[in-house]
Amino acid sequence: MNDQLESDLREALRARADQVPATAAVRLSRLDYRPRTRRLRPPLAIGAVASAAVAAGILAAVISLGAGASSAFAGWSPKPTKAAPGQLAAAGAACQHSQSSDAGLPLALADTRGPFTFSVYANSESTISCIQGPSFVLLSQSQSSSPVSVPAGQVQLASARRSDRAGRAFGFAYGRTGTGVSAVTLVLDDGTKVQATVANGWFVAWWPNGAQLKAAELTTPAGVSTQTFNLPPGCNTNKDCQGGNTVVQASGTGGQVKGETLSSSQ
Amino acid sequence: MNPRRADFDRFVADSSDALLRTAYLIVSDLGEAEDLVQETLFEVARRWPRIGRMERPVAYARRILVNRALSGSARRTRRRQELNAPTASERVAGAEVAGEIDGQDELVAALAALPPRQRAVLILRYFLDLPEAEVAAALNCSLGTVKSTASRGLARLERAMRGTNDPRSIPT
Repeated sequence: MNDQLESDLREALRARADQVPATAAVRLSRLDYRPRTRRLRPPLAIGAVASAAVAAGILAAVISLGAGASSAFAGWSPKPTKAAPGQLAAAGAACQHSQSSDAGLPLALADTRGPFTFSVYANSESTISCIQGPSFVLLSQSQSSSPVSVPAGQVQLASARRSDRAGRAFGFAYGRTGTGVSAVTLVLDDGTKVQATVANGWFVAWWPNGAQLKAAELTTPAGVSTQTFNLPPGCNTNKDCQGGNTVVQASGTGGQVKGETLSSSQ
Repeated sequence: MNPRRADFDRFVADSSDALLRTAYLIVSDLGEAEDLVQETLFEVARRWPRIGRMERPVAYARRILVNRALSGSARRTRRRQELNAPTASERVAGAEVAGEIDGQDELVAALAALPPRQRAVLILRYFLDLPEAEVAAALNCSLGTVKSTASRGLARLERAMRGTNDPRSIPT
């Protein structure tokens, strides 16, 4: 029985492994992993240890992303900050470099919070969001199946998402703004308020914890109104969750998150 | 281009596919598998001056990958429970009623229901066809442990397959 079982097992595993699309490995191999090309020198023992510790810290931040948000996302602020000289250009280069060959979408808007830049690239059919920090680049792609029409004075989510690695999380949301919306403040389910960047008919914001988007306070010529989002209560009930990521699509966007890549820029 | 950088790029191009397929078989989730491979390759990149001089860098990468997959298995199990997703045996039982899956699917489902370490041993042994010594190196354990773990895993698979083939019983 064991010989037959072993033979069957080999065959079953091969068939199962064939379900992995070849493009997935190609995409993984295209990421820029920035290999270290020089060894640390022993005579610099103390400095070397310190450098190694710093490198390990950076890598941990890359790997876990949401990590003890305080360390992985040091410098984040609930309000957008002014971009440092060269910050947008650096983020643009990093994001474009990490995109696959089918990208090349125009920049819709960029949100800066401390050293982090969240860029949204979009055309009428798809969007790519890109968070670039001191030690990582995170890409997420969505596709729209229908034209977006946003009622005046409201916003429409293109994507609201939580990412969770090793129990450490961060979340983000972006979408389109209707006519008259001049400012958007996102309200999370833990009570936190995060001011979004609004420009070119888009809004975007992100936050370094696992809280979920609950509502948005919208500033219009008529005053401030609150738009609530009827999102599923987190990953726990969302069957679309994959790879540790919560994927939540707002009703009516016709969007679907296609994938996520992470690359280092250390 | 720096020759070490070129070596690393070649290593990534040559090994990504096998690492991804191995990860997918272990964690049964493509997104999670891609994350694991990315994390593995980042770690290999960070240590490339040393790993690149090894005789078989892929063996080291495989060791990182498997350890990461196993260390995250408890979290994945908790998440699956939170999601109320059916367990592998429940899927087998349900599919058996529906009569929709064949023997290969039953075997894969039974494999997914094994303890993570048993599953990893069987995947390394029967998918990658690694010698037991290399499986032991990948799992950082002894040759004897690999043999006993593989034996227990196969026995459990055999029992599960007998169970799914017997309409009066459902594997647990």
